[in-house]
Amino acid sequence: MQRQGELIAAACTAVFVALAVATPTSAAAADVTLRMAVQDWPPTHIMKDLFDKQYKAASGNAVKLELDFIPWPDYYTRLNASLTSGEKQYNMAVSDSQWLGAFIEGGYYLNINKYVDADPGLQAVFKDLHPAVKDSYSTYPYKSDKLYGFPQMPDLVVSYYRKDVLCDATEQKNFMAKYKYKLPCSPEEMDGNDWDKFRDIGEFFQRKKGDMLMGKPADDDFYGIEFQVGKGYDFFTTSSYEFLWQHGGEIWDETKQPNAHALGVMNSKVAVESFDHLLSMVKYMPPIAKTGGLDIFKTDELFREGKVAINLEWIGFAESSINPQTSKVADKVAFAQIPGLKTPKGIVRWSVIGGQPFVLMTWNTDIQNKEALDFCKWWLSKPTQIAFAKAGGQSALRSVYKDPSYVTFRPWNRTWAASLDWQKDFWHVPEFFELLTEQQEEYTKAVTGQQNAQTTLDNIANFQEKLLKDAGRIK
Amino acid sequence: MFKLALPRSAIAGAGGAAIPLLERLGLRAASGVGEAGWGRTALAGVVSFLYFFPVLWIILTAFKSYDDVLAVPAKFFFTPTLDNFRQVFSRAYSVQGQVQDTGFALFFFNSIVIATVSVAVALVLGTFAAFGFSRYPLKGNDTYLFIILSTRMLPAIVVIIPIFLMFRITGLAGTYLGIIALYTTFNLPFTIWMMKSFFDELSPDVEDAARIDGSSDARVFFKICLPQVVAGLAATAVFGLILTWNEFLFALLLSGVETRTVPVAMAQTIGGDIGVRWGLLAAIETLFLVPVIIVTFALQNQLLRGVTFGTIKR
Amino acid sequence: MERSSPTGGMAASPALSPALPSASPPAFAPALAPALAPIPRPAGRLLRWNNWQAALLVFVVGMPPAIALLPPAFSFWVAAALAVLLAATLVVNAWGRHTGGLLVAPALALLFVMNIYPLLWSFGLSFFNYRANRMKQPTFVGLQNYANVITDPVVWDRLHTTAIMVVLTVSVQMVIGFLLALLFSKQFPLRRYLMILVLTPMMLSFVAVGAFFRYYYEPSLGLLSQFVRLFTGEPYVLMQSVWGARAGIILADAWMWSPFVMLLVLAGLVSVPKYLYEAAAIDRAPAWRRMWSITLPYIRGLLLLALLFRTIEAFKLFDVVFLLTEGGPGTATETIAVYVYRVAFQYVKTSESTALTYILLFTVIVLTNLYLYLANRRIKEA
Repeated sequence: MQRQGELIAAACTAVFVALAVATPTSAAAADVTLRMAVQDWPPTHIMKDLFDKQYKAASGNAVKLELDFIPWPDYYTRLNASLTSGEKQYNMAVSDSQWLGAFIEGGYYLNINKYVDADPGLQAVFKDLHPAVKDSYSTYPYKSDKLYGFPQMPDLVVSYYRKDVLCDATEQKNFMAKYKYKLPCSPEEMDGNDWDKFRDIGEFFQRKKGDMLMGKPADDDFYGIEFQVGKGYDFFTTSSYEFLWQHGGEIWDETKQPNAHALGVMNSKVAVESFDHLLSMVKYMPPIAKTGGLDIFKTDELFREGKVAINLEWIGFAESSINPQTSKVADKVAFAQIPGLKTPKGIVRWSVIGGQPFVLMTWNTDIQNKEALDFCKWWLSKPTQIAFAKAGGQSALRSVYKDPSYVTFRPWNRTWAASLDWQKDFWHVPEFFELLTEQQEEYTKAVTGQQNAQTTLDNIANFQEKLLKDAGRIK
Repeated sequence: MFKLALPRSAIAGAGGAAIPLLERLGLRAASGVGEAGWGRTALAGVVSFLYFFPVLWIILTAFKSYDDVLAVPAKFFFTPTLDNFRQVFSRAYSVQGQVQDTGFALFFFNSIVIATVSVAVALVLGTFAAFGFSRYPLKGNDTYLFIILSTRMLPAIVVIIPIFLMFRITGLAGTYLGIIALYTTFNLPFTIWMMKSFFDELSPDVEDAARIDGSSDARVFFKICLPQVVAGLAATAVFGLILTWNEFLFALLLSGVETRTVPVAMAQTIGGDIGVRWGLLAAIETLFLVPVIIVTFALQNQLLRGVTFGTIKR
Repeated sequence: MERSSPTGGMAASPALSPALPSASPPAFAPALAPALAPIPRPAGRLLRWNNWQAALLVFVVGMPPAIALLPPAFSFWVAAALAVLLAATLVVNAWGRHTGGLLVAPALALLFVMNIYPLLWSFGLSFFNYRANRMKQPTFVGLQNYANVITDPVVWDRLHTTAIMVVLTVSVQMVIGFLLALLFSKQFPLRRYLMILVLTPMMLSFVAVGAFFRYYYEPSLGLLSQFVRLFTGEPYVLMQSVWGARAGIILADAWMWSPFVMLLVLAGLVSVPKYLYEAAAIDRAPAWRRMWSITLPYIRGLLLLALLFRTIEAFKLFDVVFLLTEGGPGTATETIAVYVYRVAFQYVKTSESTALTYILLFTVIVLTNLYLYLANRRIKEA
């Protein structure tokens, strides 16, 4: 009996000792949950897939990534309500670059400078990012050295065009006869496009039902060109700022607060010229342009339905354009850079950068932040980014997009590297929504013929000046 | 204004041929709807069809393949496919992704449960309250009623932030209880107003007689008043159901992943990499219409017959 | 015995009688006071359970400091406790007097907690300069927000647009609803099934209606344009003009909600005794006369109820507008509800948006009272 007792005591002691030895290591592996708010669309689903398949936390912790997929059109509503109500539901979120100011000054987005300074891996990531992307997605104030986020899905505007239409022999011949120069056809030729050629293409390809198109009567109205001129969010602004910057105009410069002005800048002579230039294209676009309803979804839809020859559109829609299940022109699409402005010095290009960064929240615990940053490093590592690109995503890391294999992943990738060099972003200040909404209202009044370009820009300039003065951003 | 002084018997005699046999014999109600023939049916058919056409288009779209949906000229005759319906329940989220279950069955279940319970609770609470307002009027009754009505006068957005905050603090967010309580509150004002109208119309004689006979208040309510206003209950239930079924904003903000309802799921078919997934949206909407139509059809008789405010009195 | 005069019929008409608050003062607290006078008890006992005035005082005095000084989580619980206290005193007060109070209490309590209390909270907010996404503590600014809103020309423009659209859409709904009700007012074969067809527009989700109507109106692909093109050969762009866009929205909204009016009017039409029509036929009264003298009095109450509810809903017009035009082109269709959404959610000017909403509420209350006053006056006249 006593023998057994001794044996049991010895066994227990052994177990205790073993546990005591083992405990430190097992206590080090914690369960960390990261809740991230994301938009519901393929790039975020791809991110989840890659995470589930490949992610192993470097620290050995068991990291769970809970993604809340929120429908795109209501994303801002839900994220804004969540943040401003103080519910502290999310640890990370995919944001838009414009919202940085609003949510940073609200105290929600976390400044990551101290983490970056302490981590050579993160520093390498930021060095590898294209400066335009870093400035737009990560910094607030714009172009300062305060860092807040990382690109989840960078995006640019490119030309989608119908190579079957533009390269058609009959059309080429007729175009040459009318305009005395060759209609651009190959992607390289389209890369060199300028607005004059763009306008000519628009005029040339505006066909009514029954007119000849590619040697056969068209079964419906056809249009040569289109780009976004919609009232919602920033759809008109994206186009108008292209023209503005290319003509040499400026917007209110947030980096020069409080000395920069909007009055005299937004309605300068050059600005009015550029806006008139844009408006001159509208008559060649599908008639919905005149309602202010030609947003990015509509341009994409009309293009996929085969009604338009060239569409200037975000890359985010390209995947569905080449997919036969969602596009009637799937095998007829090619991609090139957007047109620029022909000047004596050559073609000037500028565009508004798109895409979404992701950010961390100020209420995260230290361990959550550590895991979140590790996650970002993993996401922005070359193998993951290559996998993302293979699935149709985009990368802003130089080491990735300069890799020779990058252009093979998707037909639009060839425009990526070159286009990144002429991207700018507009204001990130918290007042952005008011500025943007008023601007869009005025623009759509112009496109529907309610007022002319000068009045439109005067209204915009006055409004912005007053608003920014009241907000203390203009002296 | 012409005089309606002719007594009924005179009418029966003079215009005998004009009154159908059954009514003369007293076998059919003397009021209510009149009769009309197939001519009326044809007219109503045309009107109804035109009115229904936009809905019909949505239902047709649900059966169309991608090529047919936005065809110009619009296709009325096409080869139907059930692919959209299949996609409602399981689809791939990205081109190379796997086909996954979308959880739609759960969303549908949530919609049904949440709508039914909130309408039922509103009906119960509201009917009691309406009876109270009608039969036991407090001083300032009108003011109460007006305040109740005015809670419906504001756009929902006004109360979003306080309710959001309330829900998060009390932990009700993402729970069934929270959203049901909210929807019940939305249905209450209309329920109270409608049911009060119905109760006001009942003749008090029967109730007084019952009370004299010794029935308790509860008996009077359940056995006498309630059966007479069944139509009102039906009408209120239908309206309440329709409103709650399609409510979007609060469902978007306050439902969690497990309690998400179909309208929010519908929003997933819009925006992102394609403007609108027409076939998918149409399929979801078609499925979503079915329960409401069934309920309305079932309650239709109650609605029409009973909503005569008790004028069929002898 | 059947009623033999239209007046008698009107008295039976629902919703005109006690359901409508009386024409006399649309008052609030003053009207409440006599109703809820505490049961006479020995004087000097302030802390009775049914002393609702004391509870109200504590509530009103306690709320602003709580909101201003405490972090939101705490102030919420303080306010909730005070609200419950107030509600409890009201309930107890009512209990002592009527069964009616007992019946009414649960509904009122739920409404109070979920609806009225948040409304009061946001009402309180409108006196501060709170912005939900700024970290500053809100400061008390009194009526400043209200002054800003009332003097803002943009607000007046939106109200103007809203008024136009409300009048138009409610009128169209009433007319179409009435005509539809006339159509279905007789029993005919297949009536049940055809009526379901007409009722379905009400049952659609706004998301689907917005997306599909946007498609119907679209000039290149949409059905309306294709139809017009059969005659004119040109795509028809309905939404490019100010009035075109408004017409498009009104059409969609009226299409959805006319069945609501139809149902209510049908209820009235169904209740008109047949012999009245027969007598009129014998007298060879023309159809419009029949309508005016017999039918209208019976349905007047329900018509007014439909008018009331549809007007209230029309002021809140948001979903259809936002989905179809986002308030465009320019600002042609931007209703006040869309504007409130922008100010509250996009610009995050929380306090200003609540001030704006309460001004809207005030407008709607005034209008509703006007209706009810006119409605009641006509009862008294007739």
